[in-house]
Amino acid sequence: MPTTKILALLQETIAGLTRAKVEYADARWERRRQESLIVQNGAVQHLAAAVSEGCALRARVHGAWGYAASSRLTGLRATAAHAVAMAKACALVHAEPVPFPAQPPQRGSYRTPLDVDPFIVPLPKKLDYLLWANQVLREHDAVKTATTSLEFYRTEKLFLSTEGSLIRQEIIESGASMEALAALDGEIQRRSYPMGNGVGVAQAGYEYVKSLDLVGQAPRVRREAVALLRAKECPAEVTTVILMPDQLALQLHESCGHPVELDRVLGQELSFAGGSFLDPSKRGRFRYGSRQVSITADATCPHGVGTFGYDDEGVPAQTTPIVREGLFVGYLSSRESAARVGLSSSGAMRADGWNAMPLVRMTNVNLEPGTTTLRDLIAGTRRGVLLATNRSWSIDDRRLNFQFGTEIGWEIRDGRLGAVLKNPVYTGITPAFWGSCRGVAGRDEWVLHGVPNCAKGEPVQIMHTGHGAAPALFTRVQIGRSHR
Amino acid sequence: MSRSPSHLLGRPRLLAALTAAAGRAKADQTLIACQRGAQTTLRFANGRFHQTFYAESVDVWVKVACDGHVGVATTNAFSPEALRAAVEAAMAMARVGGRRTLAAVPAAPLARAVPPLATYVAETARRPIADTIQALHAVWQRTGRAGYALAGSFTAGEEELAVVGSKGLARYQPFTVAGVKLVATRGGASGYAAATSRDIAQLDLDAVADRAVRLARANAAPRDLRLGRPTGTSFGRYDVILEPEAVAELLEWLGYIAFGAKALAERTSPLAGRLGDRFMGEAISIHDDALHPDGLAVPFDYEGVPKQRVALIERGVAAGVVYDTAYGARYRQPSTGHGMPYDETEGPLPTHLTLAAGTTPRAGMERLLGDGLVISRFHYVNGLLDTRRALMTGLTRDGTFLVRRGKVVGAVKNLRFTQSVLEAFSRTAALSRERRLIADPGSGLGACLAPAMLLRDFTFTGKTQ
Repeated sequence: MPTTKILALLQETIAGLTRAKVEYADARWERRRQESLIVQNGAVQHLAAAVSEGCALRARVHGAWGYAASSRLTGLRATAAHAVAMAKACALVHAEPVPFPAQPPQRGSYRTPLDVDPFIVPLPKKLDYLLWANQVLREHDAVKTATTSLEFYRTEKLFLSTEGSLIRQEIIESGASMEALAALDGEIQRRSYPMGNGVGVAQAGYEYVKSLDLVGQAPRVRREAVALLRAKECPAEVTTVILMPDQLALQLHESCGHPVELDRVLGQELSFAGGSFLDPSKRGRFRYGSRQVSITADATCPHGVGTFGYDDEGVPAQTTPIVREGLFVGYLSSRESAARVGLSSSGAMRADGWNAMPLVRMTNVNLEPGTTTLRDLIAGTRRGVLLATNRSWSIDDRRLNFQFGTEIGWEIRDGRLGAVLKNPVYTGITPAFWGSCRGVAGRDEWVLHGVPNCAKGEPVQIMHTGHGAAPALFTRVQIGRSHR
Repeated sequence: MSRSPSHLLGRPRLLAALTAAAGRAKADQTLIACQRGAQTTLRFANGRFHQTFYAESVDVWVKVACDGHVGVATTNAFSPEALRAAVEAAMAMARVGGRRTLAAVPAAPLARAVPPLATYVAETARRPIADTIQALHAVWQRTGRAGYALAGSFTAGEEELAVVGSKGLARYQPFTVAGVKLVATRGGASGYAAATSRDIAQLDLDAVADRAVRLARANAAPRDLRLGRPTGTSFGRYDVILEPEAVAELLEWLGYIAFGAKALAERTSPLAGRLGDRFMGEAISIHDDALHPDGLAVPFDYEGVPKQRVALIERGVAAGVVYDTAYGARYRQPSTGHGMPYDETEGPLPTHLTLAAGTTPRAGMERLLGDGLVISRFHYVNGLLDTRRALMTGLTRDGTFLVRRGKVVGAVKNLRFTQSVLEAFSRTAALSRERRLIADPGSGLGACLAPAMLLRDFTFTGKTQ
């Protein structure tokens, strides 16, 4: 169905909801196209094209929400009736409504800036690229499984509300990854690029894939996977740790991004994802980290997969300070959750598709660059480890006690990188860990990573979130599988 | 709100539409799977419903094989034009890969009949959601009077799964599911309970709420447990009773890292090269059994292959993994009926794990434990630390209780474990004779049937604040 006809259907639906005298309603149409290519051990393993399209309606009656979604665009009147009926049924049992501040009508559009639309690049060219990188990755007998993959998304959105908003967005994301699994004598080790545990993705065109240079990086990835097979086990000790950006992305995600989601803070995720230690009394008072630590939620960051023009309740994208020189100062929030603690929305309501209700989600939660360099961080470390590429992640339901594993580590001895370490693990308590940050490298070494698999909500929604960081140094960190 | 009409198309209409689309495909083989349904989710906290969500969904997966090359396409539209477009998109993908692909071709689905299963309860699909809203509100009020707040979710829905193939395959099954999860809180103490059933009438909201409140009450004023010194011989090791919710979490991770054919092929599974070896104690038998009468039964997979009961660990010995048609062909094994939706890339996975029950009444397990801990539930388990050893980490949640001389003496703060689950299960001292169904009604067709376990020397490596 052409978008002009879809727009007319949505306008008609919003007009009907206005006539029904709801307090507020919005309609969000989405069409997502996705293309996935996977090559494993020199053979094409998976070639898939996907399209999904539908509309979500949200209605507010007497302070209660009703939400309904359907792919039958010609049946939106029934979908709207369902949303209104659910809202009315809930309103009957609510003690008092929670405020939902009005906002001025938004009229605008956003489109991903890009050089090359990934959907017009011929599939054979994409496959050639993956097969070439895969071949280079396999040039060692110990590499038993080599996987290279590409993934592309185009998401078109229309958003209308009874407040008069009309927003069009088109977001294009490109992703690539490679992974070498090396095995010897029953031991198996993995190296990945550009991220562990899945595709590295950016809001960009095919130029992002080219910039990753899978073929050029494949020898390093292969070499490190093989080196891990004969590497020393990461020791268990308390020591200095330097984290690379591809691990800091997960550290930021789990120990900062999730605990500042205001719906979690308010107890709305208790039965699934849990709560947060960052209750509203701590905002502006609590020392989250050292003075080296400034963290920003930035929905305007170029190439970030948490970047957009407007969130999924029509709030313009913003840059929100979360931590400033170690002090906890802000939340990720929605219009309703922000109002409950006397703030205005940070524009972080996002749904993972037309058939999902928007939740407070991360945008791009970034560690601001510092003033030093990785070289100086290493040179200033008498004894420690450098850890890269996330392998495992776990954190408690209030986001305090964490444990992360990385794919690889290196000893640091007397200011120099030493032997490769396998199976590194480190653990800590969130504010103590960030409080031990003693240096962050500068803008030149700052890298923005896309995490494409953030799970939250019931039914579970999978969101793409961005995390930028430069290498950072932390002191007195427990590494290895020991006690804390 | 009036009673809900059924959203399902029904067997004749759904199979006819898919068969027509498959028949038009100019491919050597075609498989089309379609899952359609409607689901309502209510999420609540702080005395109000903060999310009330009704969604109608359609997912169509098309897999074609042309000259031995495979292409996949998916759509969420169901018109004849949309189905035709999906078939053509899958054909285009197969042709592109054609020069170089070695991807496995879906084998001709077996003609085995699927067992008749009663998986649809009309009342689950039809009960007005307004009635459920009122029922949940009554439960909040009752627990509120006792001083406990409730947060949680309720889900009810219906769906139909159909699979057709170009060689005459035609499968259809309708399903319903309803479930509730509740967290009771008072101050910093919390307790969790849940229930899932195909029949909404089987969900006893009061009983679930009472269990959550009971756990929250027992979880008040948790003390700080000393884990000992890192160099000490008793460092972080406790005998534990894992409740079924905690056991299920470990089993599901084992299913992901150990019991699928892809993990075997990539040698990341602990079972790789070790089928027939002893991994656990004789008391441990783990199966994938989608036909179990106490589970959420499913008769066939997304390739239309009837579900088989698969022995994964038989009396402690590694017995097998699950296969779809592609991995089955690779290992010269028949598919066990574990084909996933065609856009999934994790390979076949067990989604209906069962751990054999023991003979010990659950009520008698603390006495057997002596001194140790009772773990209600785990949080954020991760099994990717060292998959060959099934080394996992995670935290306790919503109730960790200290037992002294066979009696619960109080709650302790949440603990982090880091433990090889293979080693932990090899130190099984008892399994309860009762089992509980653990399932997330909002997340697909899977479920887990688990007893409580008494394990010796479970390793804890940290604690939270």
